[in-house]
Amino acid sequence: MNNGAGRRINGGAEEDDDEDDVNGDLDAWERTYTDERSWESLQEDESGMLRPIDNQALYHSQYRRRLRSLLSTAARIQKGLIRYLYIVIDLSRAASEMDFRPSRIAVIAKHVETFIREFFYQNPLSQVGIVTIKDGVAHCLTDIGGSPESHINALMKKLECSGDSSLQNALDLVDGYLNQIPSYGHREVLILYSALSTCDPGDIMDTIQKCRKSKIRCSVIGLAAEMFICKHLCQETGGTYSVALDESHFKELILEHAPPPPAIAEFAVANLIKMGFPQRAAEGSISICSCHKEAKVGAGYTCPRCKARACELPTECCVCGLTLVSSPHLARSYHHLFPIAPFDEVTSSHLNNPNCKLQRNCFGCQQSLLDPGNKPGPAVVCPKCKWYFCLDCDIYIHESLHNCPGCDSLRHS
Amino acid sequence: MKFQIEDVTVYFPYDHIYPEQYCYMIELKRTLDAKGHCLLEMPTGTGKTIALLSLITSYCLSKPQSPMKLIYCTRTVHEMEKTLAELKILHNYQIKHLGPQARILAIGLSSRKNLCVNPTVVAAENRDSVDAGCRKLTASWVRALASENPDVAMCEFFENYEKAASAAVLPPGVYTLQELRAFGKEKGWCPYFLARHMVQFANVVVYSYQYLLDPKVAGIISKEMQKESVVVFDEAHNIDNVCIEALSVSVRRQTLEGATRNLSRISQEIDRFKATDASILRAEYNRLVEGLALRGNLPITDNWLSNPALPDDILKEAVPGNIRRAEHFLHVLRRLVQYLSGRLDTENVEKESPVGFVASLSSHAGIDQKTLKFCYDRLHSLMLTLEITDTDEFLHIQTICDFATLVGTYGRGFSIIIEPFDERMPHIPDPVLQLSCHDASLAIKPVFDRFQSVLITSGTLSPIDLYPRLLNFHPVVSRSFTMSLTRDCICPMVLTRGSDQLPVSTKFDMRSDPGVVRNYGKLLLEMVSVVPDGIVCFFVSYSYMDGIINTWNDSGILKEIMLHKLVFIETQDVVETTLALDNYRRACDSGRGAVFFSVARGKVAEGIDFDRHYGRLVIMIGVPFQYTLSKILLARLEYLRDTFQIKEGDFLTFDALRQAAQCVGRVIRSKADYGMMIFADKRYSRHDKRSKLPSWILSHLQDANLNLSTDMALHIAREFLKKMAQPYDKTGSSDKKTLLSQEELEKLGDGSMHEMSY
Repeated sequence: MNNGAGRRINGGAEEDDDEDDVNGDLDAWERTYTDERSWESLQEDESGMLRPIDNQALYHSQYRRRLRSLLSTAARIQKGLIRYLYIVIDLSRAASEMDFRPSRIAVIAKHVETFIREFFYQNPLSQVGIVTIKDGVAHCLTDIGGSPESHINALMKKLECSGDSSLQNALDLVDGYLNQIPSYGHREVLILYSALSTCDPGDIMDTIQKCRKSKIRCSVIGLAAEMFICKHLCQETGGTYSVALDESHFKELILEHAPPPPAIAEFAVANLIKMGFPQRAAEGSISICSCHKEAKVGAGYTCPRCKARACELPTECCVCGLTLVSSPHLARSYHHLFPIAPFDEVTSSHLNNPNCKLQRNCFGCQQSLLDPGNKPGPAVVCPKCKWYFCLDCDIYIHESLHNCPGCDSLRHS
Repeated sequence: MKFQIEDVTVYFPYDHIYPEQYCYMIELKRTLDAKGHCLLEMPTGTGKTIALLSLITSYCLSKPQSPMKLIYCTRTVHEMEKTLAELKILHNYQIKHLGPQARILAIGLSSRKNLCVNPTVVAAENRDSVDAGCRKLTASWVRALASENPDVAMCEFFENYEKAASAAVLPPGVYTLQELRAFGKEKGWCPYFLARHMVQFANVVVYSYQYLLDPKVAGIISKEMQKESVVVFDEAHNIDNVCIEALSVSVRRQTLEGATRNLSRISQEIDRFKATDASILRAEYNRLVEGLALRGNLPITDNWLSNPALPDDILKEAVPGNIRRAEHFLHVLRRLVQYLSGRLDTENVEKESPVGFVASLSSHAGIDQKTLKFCYDRLHSLMLTLEITDTDEFLHIQTICDFATLVGTYGRGFSIIIEPFDERMPHIPDPVLQLSCHDASLAIKPVFDRFQSVLITSGTLSPIDLYPRLLNFHPVVSRSFTMSLTRDCICPMVLTRGSDQLPVSTKFDMRSDPGVVRNYGKLLLEMVSVVPDGIVCFFVSYSYMDGIINTWNDSGILKEIMLHKLVFIETQDVVETTLALDNYRRACDSGRGAVFFSVARGKVAEGIDFDRHYGRLVIMIGVPFQYTLSKILLARLEYLRDTFQIKEGDFLTFDALRQAAQCVGRVIRSKADYGMMIFADKRYSRHDKRSKLPSWILSHLQDANLNLSTDMALHIAREFLKKMAQPYDKTGSSDKKTLLSQEELEKLGDGSMHEMSY
């Protein structure tokens, strides 16, 4: 083979040169396999057989762990439902690296989009803004607002990466914006950081202290490795710091920021907020929209105080500054405050016990809880209504439904 | 927590203990039972010091009928303070559980520079001037003079201490140097002399290696230590070098010039005394005739450094007649200095055994061996007689007398090497005459002989079977412990090839190859782009570092590195290096990231920690062999081969690998920490080199990481850093416990603990 001969000329003289160095000269078809690393999703069982990693069980155990950790802290605590979140996206040189496929920035953009949608779904009363760091300077890409579409559109247009990254500039900029937020709002920054260093104009420690004083909760998701300054920032401001292992992990990490964090006692002063519940305008009515500054036909909302028209809820009225929400928004935020209790795992001994009234079907989907081999499969039980559920329904109930069908049907009967 | 090891109840001040600490204590306990010596290797960051202290103090407490003293030797003042602070925590804990019967006295002893509280004296810049400044105020004749003449300055702290006499004692407790000073200030007593005095009564003494190993210092400080002592040498991987240095002397041109000046000053003094008070000189003569060279009861302040030869080798005889008179002694010294300067004028490298040197000295200068032996004691006596207090001025003549005494006393294990210039800079004449000791066992032998148990411990003592041979003793226990980790937080790699698959090495014939230099540069460049915060990079020598950095600068690699991280360089200047380190730390703190270029065997490699984000990666470029053409090294190798049957290659590899391990070990200082280590040289992949690394590194060195190229190393680094950034459970899962609580410890039988170590 051609390559082999060439190599021998290079390194043949060395007595301790090994032959496992094939990375440099691969054929194209080989390279695709190297890149995908599909063998990593295999594992060996006790008898030495290769089988795919059992993602289902893994996924479920991860989810249960997360649920437990969430609930262990969140017995019945105050949560910040009105959040003002700036997403800081690092568009420095490092973001164009290809260790995520196709590139870091593409992955970031994709998941930021999912995150923004999920965020508004879970926090209908909150608002988001986007800041980017590029060439050592921080820019405000979108002002803080409640419309997912406008943020996503703006972000997708600007995805070129270059230059250094500066954490301090970004924090200073965000700090300036968030300082104007009314006191009932929770100020948060989520930084998606690709770079491994920060080139700052001044002392970043001062900026961190400033953020701390203005009660901004800073969280960082790193894409490469743990950085001391990020860890320090998160510790000081009460945020979380995590580093993504791969794309799916990154998605998981970013979505962890969607549910509202517990409100820190000193931050959360209970006070009354003036809100308007605008009526939806009649179909076909024409009015000048206050947000787009142009005439629009149909579907809009009218501010109850100044009668200005707004396209989307929730928002702040451009004219009188009233917070405009709809009642479903409030209702949707409700489940954060009253989460349903985690279901207990049904032990196999319990299932095998013939004395116990055995439920053979999941109460949610009515599928059989038994394995193909007629052995009892994994199941969970609601501590209140004692109905059994399968694992998929368990996740669905806790993550999407936020109501236990068993308990609800009890109440009705 | 409190637990039982065989018949000893161990008081341990923390709620949890690492399994390896427990094993370590068991081995220690057995050593103490056997009243023998031991060698224990345990990685840093596993709480060696506290395990050691808590076991030994608990052992003493459980056996009150046979009181034991702990002598703990550290390398630096900083380590001394740390040890005392740990001891303090332990002591408080023991008092809480046992009440006042657990009270002990523990003190740290250091030089006057660190202990003096007299503001006028301690202001002096170096140790010798502080010592001299102190003598000027406290020497017996100065004080005698002051009692007549009130204008003569004295040290009030010392006077108060003297006045308090036997009442001047330290109450039991643990005193760090700081607290000792505070105590001295409060009472108005001199902390240095108080500490010197209390050393004999203390249960625990913490001081530097020299106080036991250097016969000059040991003779006055450690003379009266009881046999029932446990001596601990911490961080003792370089103990053989310390022993050798204690008995080696080098004489340069400046030394000889200084010595000549000193001699003329002494002769002036003698003339002055002759004119004013000849009786003093006569009295000295008579004392010498009676054979009382110095061994009378001198007041503590007049005590000078004692004889540089080991106590057993000092002749218990009267000073020979030809140097009893001060003038005659001066003549002998003049001739000696003249002879030495004649030898320094040589143009070739000369190597001679001490026997040959003494023979030629007696034929050319007429000084016989016995006279040489007494030079040091005679000079000491003379200086006391002449009432010279500014001893820092007389260092040169002291060095000459040191040399004379050593050369007269020892025939074996030494050699005299005269080099007209430094090999690496042949154009600059810098003649040096070195009396170098080759046998580390000489200096440490009295310690092994005198004390019941000697413990030698460090993070890197591999291969552990070589130390007993080098130091010539028989340990009852020699064990190496691994670290129990909840996650694989160290990632050693052996990098043998650059990204172009060409081998990299600092072998002499390869090191200047531009391809190798470029590959090393590329390696660093790639690494700075994937490793956050701090990176430390060790080179084999200053000259190699200078060369390679120059090349990198020319080829623009350095500039590219600076895009990612700032670059700091260790220099031979201490102040400059300290400043660089400070800024390096700041760059790491503020997230800018930094690279520190340092040299194996330098100050940074030995004493500075690069833990946590200050060192996420350490790259060891090349194998840090000693300069193998050095005459001293060659002579030592020859001696080792002839006397201890240690092959040259074995010793060189051992020495290089312990330095490399020491360098990379800087990166991890606790279990919560993580870091990578890259050994960048193809020679590391060879078994004979690699197997000499400490077991705690070897156990993490996977076979897959033994022969990497730059791109493969890069991939591993990325994965490792991501993995380490994930949150983890500190106590470890149930099958792999790394933190034991009291109950768990009680459940554990001895059997299951044994598999921990090998």
